[in-house]
Amino acid sequence: MVESKPAPVRPASPFAPRHTGPITALQVIQLVLEKVGAGYRSSTIDHVSAGDPLTAVTGIAVTPIASLAALRRAAERGHNLVVTYDPGFWSTSDNLDGLEDNALFQMKRDLIRDRHLVVFNLHDHWRDRIPDGLVQGMAQALGWTMPAEGAVFDIAPTSLLTLARGLSIRIGDSTIRVVGDPRLAVSRVALAPGNAAQMPTIALLNGPADVVLAGYCREWEAVEYVQDMIAAGARKAMILLGEIASVSPGMKACAEWLKGVTDIPVTYVDTPPGYWS
Amino acid sequence: MHGKAWDRRGAITAAGVVLAMPGTSLAVAPPTVQDVLDRMHGRTGAPWFTGGVDHIVTGSPDAPVAGIATVMMATFDALKAAVAHRLNFVITHEPTFWSHQDRTDQLQDDPLYRRKLTYIGDHGLTVFYFHDHWHGKKPIDGINQGMTHKMGWQRYTDTDNSRAFNLPATTLKGLVGQFREKLGDRTLRVIGDPALPVKRVIASWGNCSSFPGIPYLDMADVLIIGEAQDWDLIAYANDLAAAGRPKALVLLGHVLSEQWGMEYCADWLRDFVPEVPVRFLPITEPYWTPAAPVFEIGTKI
Repeated sequence: MVESKPAPVRPASPFAPRHTGPITALQVIQLVLEKVGAGYRSSTIDHVSAGDPLTAVTGIAVTPIASLAALRRAAERGHNLVVTYDPGFWSTSDNLDGLEDNALFQMKRDLIRDRHLVVFNLHDHWRDRIPDGLVQGMAQALGWTMPAEGAVFDIAPTSLLTLARGLSIRIGDSTIRVVGDPRLAVSRVALAPGNAAQMPTIALLNGPADVVLAGYCREWEAVEYVQDMIAAGARKAMILLGEIASVSPGMKACAEWLKGVTDIPVTYVDTPPGYWS
Repeated sequence: MHGKAWDRRGAITAAGVVLAMPGTSLAVAPPTVQDVLDRMHGRTGAPWFTGGVDHIVTGSPDAPVAGIATVMMATFDALKAAVAHRLNFVITHEPTFWSHQDRTDQLQDDPLYRRKLTYIGDHGLTVFYFHDHWHGKKPIDGINQGMTHKMGWQRYTDTDNSRAFNLPATTLKGLVGQFREKLGDRTLRVIGDPALPVKRVIASWGNCSSFPGIPYLDMADVLIIGEAQDWDLIAYANDLAAAGRPKALVLLGHVLSEQWGMEYCADWLRDFVPEVPVRFLPITEPYWTPAAPVFEIGTKI
């Protein structure tokens, strides 16, 4: 469980110097962390992954992943603070070991330097909001009513196939993958955007949901588990939307939220998942 | 080599006697699980080591082996198939209990864990997790050898790198067609231009992270993998595409990217476990896409 701790209150000291200069990336990030409503975390992967945090912010681009395409579009708009859910340097912790001589790394690094971009990974704290920022964004996009707690939604009864087809059309991706009986009756859906880790996903599958709607899941973890449940006679299923498609609505919601937190211009910048089959 | 061939013939003859005269005093005692493991130990061409994930997941080293099933993943359906074929020793490349280490301490109260474990016990199965040593087989990774054979790519294997293949010139679309045709893959996913000219391919069957995936992509037109996380190697491939680089990534799905490596494992075992039947039992592709729904999982125990 995440321990809850009230957000720090800045003392209004009359002796404190008044900030007169342009607002920096670091100040925006501090504001985000104060306002996001997440509890204290003893460890997090949220960090400034590139750029100088003292850069004056000209605009904020919010994106599911700090892809090359997203960085370019942020720069084109003149938005130099990039707020991203997933990392820009191809590993969970933006580990740069072994990338120094990589041409694509250098291309991204030079773009970030030339355009004075700052990349802030906002992953854990957006999920720690109550309700979870990604789940709420996805529910809004799907037109589903948030439950009082948790992430299991009652939806109009349908079949697994109809649900999957509707999602495939909605996100414009024919490569989404489904485990289970296409005729399965579905009326309760658990949303698990992003990475569906082993034990939390097993818990969702053992709960009231007929189907877990996830982003990415390792094939030897919950994908095997749901197959085994079905092979043991349980009426369960799983839909994998892909990480980016599953995270995008929640980051769109993050952009909308940021517009209420700051006067700086905020734009959502999409990254298409890019698959064909 | 000559000695091995002679041994093989001799052993096959002995097995023939057993088959011809079942229940007679000529029948040799079946090997135990440990006997089979002992024979495997000396035959991977590399030292057997501890500290990896390979171990007896459940069952007994002393169990007499009636027959061996090699499977890609010990799914519940795979276990049912082994029972149906009367094969009580299951050798699996992937986990039984849903994690790489196959740790079960967190699962003690999990109803499906209890049910699967009970099924294994009731049917007298022993399950051996054969991952690391099969990948470590010398001179070629056992999974790679089986997949290379399944694709018919033996003659294209690079002389310096058994994961690299110098294929007759094709396009990315043409290459993808080969996977559909030969593996029956219905849920593969591709990043890259379908018209990309393809000659040099690297195959990292199974899971592939950014390392070694990024260097592999530098060395070939196309990297073939089973799966990766969307925010590591897949994100890299998307960035390569955005940068206009002539590269591609093909994701076959983990199971289909490796499972014929376990068909080769059955062939390999048959050479030195001639007394009992050894069968490769293919498992189903886990997924379907909305355009082509199917349901292949057996729901009866």
